[in-house]
Amino acid sequence: MAGIWVYSEDTNIAQQLLTLGGELADKTQQQVCAVTIFEQDAQELIASGADKVFVLKGDSAWPESYAQAVADLASKESPMAVFIGATLRGKDLAAKVAARLKTGLVTDAFSVRYEDGAIETDRMMYGGLAVCTEVLRGIGLATIPPRTYDVPVKDNSRTGEIVKVNVAVEAAVAVGNVCPIVRQGADIATAEKLVCIGRGVGKKEDLLLAQNLAAVLGAEIGCTRSIAEDYHWLPNENYIGLSGQKVKPSLYLSMGVSGQIQHVAGIRDSKIIVAIDTNENAPIFAAADYGIVGDLYQIVPLLTEALK
Amino acid sequence: MPNIVVCYKWVLDEQDIKINPANLALDTSRAKYKISEYDRNAIEEAVLQAEKSGASVVCLTFGTSTAKQSLKDALSRGPEKAYWINDAAAEKADAFVTSNVLVAALRKVGDYDIIICGEGSADTYGQQVGPRVATLLDIPVITFVTEMKIEGNKVIATRKIGDCTEVVTVQIPVVITVLPEVNKPRIPSLKQVLGAAKKPVTEWKIADLGLNMEDTEPKNNVKSIKGFVMSRKNVIYKEGTPAEKVTSLVANLTKEGAL
Ligand SMILES: Cc1cc2nc3c(=O)[nH]c(=O)nc-3n(C[C@H](O)[C@H](O)[C@H](O)COP(=O)(O)OP(=O)(O)OC[C@H]3O[C@@H](n4cnc5c(N)ncnc54)[C@H](O)[C@@H]3O)c2cc1C
Repeated sequence: MAGIWVYSEDTNIAQQLLTLGGELADKTQQQVCAVTIFEQDAQELIASGADKVFVLKGDSAWPESYAQAVADLASKESPMAVFIGATLRGKDLAAKVAARLKTGLVTDAFSVRYEDGAIETDRMMYGGLAVCTEVLRGIGLATIPPRTYDVPVKDNSRTGEIVKVNVAVEAAVAVGNVCPIVRQGADIATAEKLVCIGRGVGKKEDLLLAQNLAAVLGAEIGCTRSIAEDYHWLPNENYIGLSGQKVKPSLYLSMGVSGQIQHVAGIRDSKIIVAIDTNENAPIFAAADYGIVGDLYQIVPLLTEALK
Repeated sequence: MPNIVVCYKWVLDEQDIKINPANLALDTSRAKYKISEYDRNAIEEAVLQAEKSGASVVCLTFGTSTAKQSLKDALSRGPEKAYWINDAAAEKADAFVTSNVLVAALRKVGDYDIIICGEGSADTYGQQVGPRVATLLDIPVITFVTEMKIEGNKVIATRKIGDCTEVVTVQIPVVITVLPEVNKPRIPSLKQVLGAAKKPVTEWKIADLGLNMEDTEPKNNVKSIKGFVMSRKNVIYKEGTPAEKVTSLVANLTKEGAL
């Protein structure tokens, strides 16, 4: 078995995965290869650490339709592992590749290492309550969430091999009407500071409390799933958690968020977590660095004033 | 009139799982089971589609003997019939095994035009079974669906895929995986719950499905499952006036350089 492979339909994420690929390739004395559907990005992938780039050339603009091609190439070349960017498209493709290769697939691995001659991964289970450690077998497949690794420093003098592969793509699906989702605010996944609201905020008008606090902090506003999906007070892109966005701010401050495990799974990488909640037994306090047990309608205006 | 098969998983309710702080082992002894949340959306969608198009809906689950309790719950949500692969292998099954078993069962069920799955299960949230099943059946899959419509022998679905939405059209047979936004699952009425007891259930073992040994052995080796520990400062202000609490918090955040 040879090579550590990375794939993403998003070249920036593929570059992040090259950081992991490079680490494992060094430890296992193998090549690191990138698989891409964008010929124009091949050189960039080499500059970011790929020794070899496979360019899949097919006549579909729909990334999901390259699953068969990725699987065929992997079964021919037998890499030790294939790391796929865990975008939604990436997860769709990865599952199809795993099915074709008749192999396991770890979804959303947040940590990957080489141990005792095999690749080992960690992922969350039960909404973030537990961590499952798995040893990959055969061609090891895992999807890795965006921003788990940094993009490597580019070295434009690096050289590598570019291999073009003509592939047949799945044609059973007709994709029409692609509509970008227009973000109403900043991307909370990359925000430096976040104010998060939960169902403790009783009415939509009271979002103003959060907005005022966010303004003095220079923060963006996120929310729990209930606020986005049940109340539709904020767009779906603004909810944080297991099935929402994973965030990594230096400061996360929640008001009226109970801290159910699925929400907490999305805030764990925050540097400092602050919670305001009336219920002293709310699980959010166990996940917080600082907490105020109190009514957000009293606390937040005072806090906003104090921070001015 | 298409035949719809909806797949669901009977999972431990994570809210009842406790972690032993000494060794981080999971204590599931007091945990109840539930139909995985997203699968409730899947069942609801299958039933809504059937109500619109006159399709028939059956449900399919692969679970251990504990999944017996799930059948009434699932059937009270609308499907006409349940198929249950009752096998202890479900306990350790990964997505590789689960999809092999579901596919073998789907082939045995025979008439399937639209297979609906939840986007991921509440326990492992692997988000794999739908696309794996489609691949093994050699039919297309539309994942992350927020809206769907059956038109003749076509399914037109809107999927939400990160930074855009896509409208995708495919010929049946097809697998659809749904996001929670697709609908609001009904709360079954007493009449539906009582009616569910009379609906037929077909029970199979894996041995009835003609699978090879290696199709039923999980692929990756699970080394451990341990409680996740978060080490946080846990400085919680409970006593004092709101103003005092705020002053203490601001002082600490300033000290941390967080502001
Ligand atoms: C498979 C699955 C995936 C999920 N994924 C996500 C996810 O990605 N993100 C997510 O957020 N959720 C997710 N959830 C839902 C999650 O389990 C919780 O239901 C949700 O996070 C709760 O939102 P909340 O904290 O806003 O509401 P609640 O749990 O209702 O909490 C409200 C809190 O507000 C407090 N409160 C009330 N009034 C006041 C006041 N005046 N002042 C201060 N505090 C007050 C209450 O004490 C309470 O703690 C998921 C669930 C499942 C099953």
